[in-house]
Amino acid sequence: MNQKPFVDDTETYAQDIVETVREPLLMLDKNLRVQSANRAFYQTFQVSPDETENRLIYELGNGQWDIPDLRTLLEDVIPRSSVFNDFELEHTFPVIGRRIMLLNGRKLRAGSHSEISVLAMEDVTERRRVEADLKAIETYAQNIVDTVREPLLILDGTLRVRSGNNAFYQTFKVSCDETENRLIYELGNGQWDIPALRTLLEDIVPKSSVFNDFELEHDFPVIGRRVMLLNARQLQAGHHGELVVLAMEDVTERRRSEADLKAIETYAQNIVDTVREPLLILDTTLRVRSGNNAFYQTFKVSAEETENRLIYELGNGQWDIPDLRTLLEDIVPQSSFFNDFELEHDFPALGRRVMLLNARKLQAGHHGELLVLAMEDVTERRRAEEEVAKAKEASETANKTKSLFLANMSHELRTPLNAIVGYSEMLQEEAIDQNLDSFGADLEKIHGAGRHLLALINDILDLSKIEAGKMDLYLETFDLNILIDEVASTVYPMVVKNGNTMHVQKASDLGAMRADQVKVRQGLFNLLSNAAKFTQAGKIVLEAERQRMDSHEWIVFKVTDTGIGLSPEQIVKLFQDFTQADPSTTRKFGGTGLGLALTRRFCQMMGGDVTLQSVPGEGSVFTIKIPADVSEVRHDVEAVTASGTIASGTAVENTESLPDSGTCVLVIDDDAAQRDLMKSFLTKEGFCVYCADSGAEGLRLAKQLHPVAITLDVMMPEMDGWVVLEKLKQDVETHDIPVVMLTMVDDPQRGFTLGAADYATKPVNRRRLARIIKKYSCANPPCAVLVVEDDAATRALTRNMLEKEGCRVMEAENGEIALAMMAEERPSLILLDLMMPVMDGFEFADRVRMQPEWRSIPIVVVTAHDLTGEERRRLSGYVETILHKAGGSRDELLERVRNELDNFATPRLLNA
Amino acid sequence: MTKILLVEDNEMNRDMLSRRLQRRGYEVIIATDGQMGLEMAQSECPDIILMDMSLPVLDGWEATRCLKAGAETKAIPVIALTAHAMSSDREKALEAGCDEYDTKPIELTRLLAKIEHLLGARK
Repeated sequence: MNQKPFVDDTETYAQDIVETVREPLLMLDKNLRVQSANRAFYQTFQVSPDETENRLIYELGNGQWDIPDLRTLLEDVIPRSSVFNDFELEHTFPVIGRRIMLLNGRKLRAGSHSEISVLAMEDVTERRRVEADLKAIETYAQNIVDTVREPLLILDGTLRVRSGNNAFYQTFKVSCDETENRLIYELGNGQWDIPALRTLLEDIVPKSSVFNDFELEHDFPVIGRRVMLLNARQLQAGHHGELVVLAMEDVTERRRSEADLKAIETYAQNIVDTVREPLLILDTTLRVRSGNNAFYQTFKVSAEETENRLIYELGNGQWDIPDLRTLLEDIVPQSSFFNDFELEHDFPALGRRVMLLNARKLQAGHHGELLVLAMEDVTERRRAEEEVAKAKEASETANKTKSLFLANMSHELRTPLNAIVGYSEMLQEEAIDQNLDSFGADLEKIHGAGRHLLALINDILDLSKIEAGKMDLYLETFDLNILIDEVASTVYPMVVKNGNTMHVQKASDLGAMRADQVKVRQGLFNLLSNAAKFTQAGKIVLEAERQRMDSHEWIVFKVTDTGIGLSPEQIVKLFQDFTQADPSTTRKFGGTGLGLALTRRFCQMMGGDVTLQSVPGEGSVFTIKIPADVSEVRHDVEAVTASGTIASGTAVENTESLPDSGTCVLVIDDDAAQRDLMKSFLTKEGFCVYCADSGAEGLRLAKQLHPVAITLDVMMPEMDGWVVLEKLKQDVETHDIPVVMLTMVDDPQRGFTLGAADYATKPVNRRRLARIIKKYSCANPPCAVLVVEDDAATRALTRNMLEKEGCRVMEAENGEIALAMMAEERPSLILLDLMMPVMDGFEFADRVRMQPEWRSIPIVVVTAHDLTGEERRRLSGYVETILHKAGGSRDELLERVRNELDNFATPRLLNA
Repeated sequence: MTKILLVEDNEMNRDMLSRRLQRRGYEVIIATDGQMGLEMAQSECPDIILMDMSLPVLDGWEATRCLKAGAETKAIPVIALTAHAMSSDREKALEAGCDEYDTKPIELTRLLAKIEHLLGARK
């Protein structure tokens, strides 16, 4: 075999390999001169063989290979060892840019070629970049793991912990050392050895590489009972192999608040179902979301027939009621609630009913906006109210009938009695004249019986008059000595009859008194005749004296007896009508049982009283105390209670008898100057005037005096005029007293009375409105009622109510529009909101009152229950302004008050 | 002799009061209604008139008003007699022009005192 061709073949083979590899290769001789390069080299570095071969490596490409690291490698490393691997060289090559090259070198003995170094260059730039990226991603991932607030555990395939994150260590209060490389079940003294977790990790995770929201409730020693939501992912984590990431979310709080929410919802539902008032929950399209038990029971329907239906469709359209449509479609959309809408309707299932509807619009979380409609069946209540009203009317009628009957009876009874008493008296005189002594005693009996009967009738009549408030005082000045002597001599026969003695002790300064003589006499007579009646063979003492107390003179009569006396229980009953201390006394001693009750009332009418001290079996002391001048004391007493500082007694001193409150006007005003002004003005007009300096005092006096009219200041501290007005209108004792509201406007030089004929609070109750309409209804229905109100919803509601009452309704949203409307047509009644834009209620009322042809139109003020702070501010602004300027406005103010009062009350005709 | 005109429609009251007054020495003339009372006051010129208020034809208040409006009768004192014990009746009577007032049943001594008081004042 020829040796040479074999060698040639081998060399060609090596050369082919050199040319084929994609890695650039350089062959260097021992002087580091390039013997040859392969194609990959030329291509990679974009150079030609001519520029390369037989050159020193450092000279190649303008010295771009003259790299210190390469010099070290070639000159220091290669000569000593025949091989080197993976020498990494980072260098910026002019043609191909910055590169990372992995150099491998081999020293070869190449047969005849002597010693050659093969330098292979691998471009690892890309590989290094990817590796750096991977590193960055891993760091990033670890950062995330450490950053998330959810505790995480990374487990390997054997369920050993590779690592936990910060959140894990913090949450479970363990350290890294106690955790890593341990079996999960061993962690923290086995607190993670939970059956449910074992199931999860050993059965579920191996089968599926992921699970979500596995809920685990467990008592952890360190953090207590917790609900954890576990999520896991099985990951192929590169060289880390298969890992399980276990994320734990502590949902204890969330579960608790969810449970709370649920509980609240259940609670709300329970309330809804428990209340006895039928409720419907509607959505905004008026479809029923649900009803409560009461609804289903009351209307005898099932939930299926009700839910998800339009309210109007319920029960064969029995809820399709025009009023309800108005309410739900017009009023509700404009305000988020309404109260006490009264609906009268014939329901097929339960007949004609009056329902009071209340609604609230609610934001019900994810349920959106809902309307709760509550229905209160007030049919019975209304019926009861009507019955009460009827009963009241009936009793008032009966009372009137009674008064009339009593008046008639007194006349009818007295006329024949008059004859009996008169004729028997005459016959007695004749018997004496004709010496017919035997008739005398019998005639005396007839006469006595007649007088007794007359006394009874008078007592009953007096008492009924007091009850009806019709008992008057007739004041006159009389001498007490004469009066006492007369009474003593009248009663003397009765005293003697029971074997008693009587002693009369009159003080020397007794003199005269000014009181109702008849009533004083009657009182004294009653006490003395009682003493005579209930004392046997005893002693009766009448003492009379003048005493000075509280800067007033009093006359005191004291009647002392040694009779049967009275126990404390008997004393309590003694002054009651028709009651004697003991029922048996009526049989034993006779009498009506009215005497003491009457005496006491007479004394009280005169500003005095009767008191009693008694010991059973030993006797009694009755004391009458009456002011020496009843007129003075009465005035003074009332002046003190009425105005505190202003004496109103002078207002009425020219009348002979006291004015009854039926001719009096009550002025309620906190401003003393204003009060004085009104008082002097009204007094001149012939009214008697009582003043109150506060709302509370005004209310008290109104109840006590029942005046013909009240003038009421709007702006007062503590309780303002509107509140007072409302209270007056709520109280049955005072609701019918006309009230003239007074206030001041900021119009210069002008005071102002708000001529309100009546008053109602918002929301206006339909019944109240009906009563108002009835009261002011015009002669020819349908009456035109002007509603002046800026709130559209309230207007709609009011219109609805009014139309139901058979009225024709005109609507105006402010005072200006209202005036324009009135110019077109005169309404017969105005319902007026006080607070409106453009022209408010005060100004409007003022304008109406300035027009003579409009003056008589009743204005009913409708106002919010509570004035807002803004309204109060506005009103107080008015008052402040006017107080500086009040002088010029006086006459007009007074003129107005006069006109208002003319509508309600006529001054008393005074006796000259 | 003092002449008293008693205007009273009730027969018993009239009979009784007239007899008792006569016993006390007064001359009593009788009218049974307001109109008649008015006429007799003009024709008989009594010294004093006792006037019941609830009278037929013309009631006591109206009759008194006429008396007090008439030139020749206005000076004659009038005492109103009524069974109504309300003070408003008294005021109504005084308003109509009555000089005095007394309630029935008549307490003779009281009435006599009032009569003598008015007659005395007149003299």
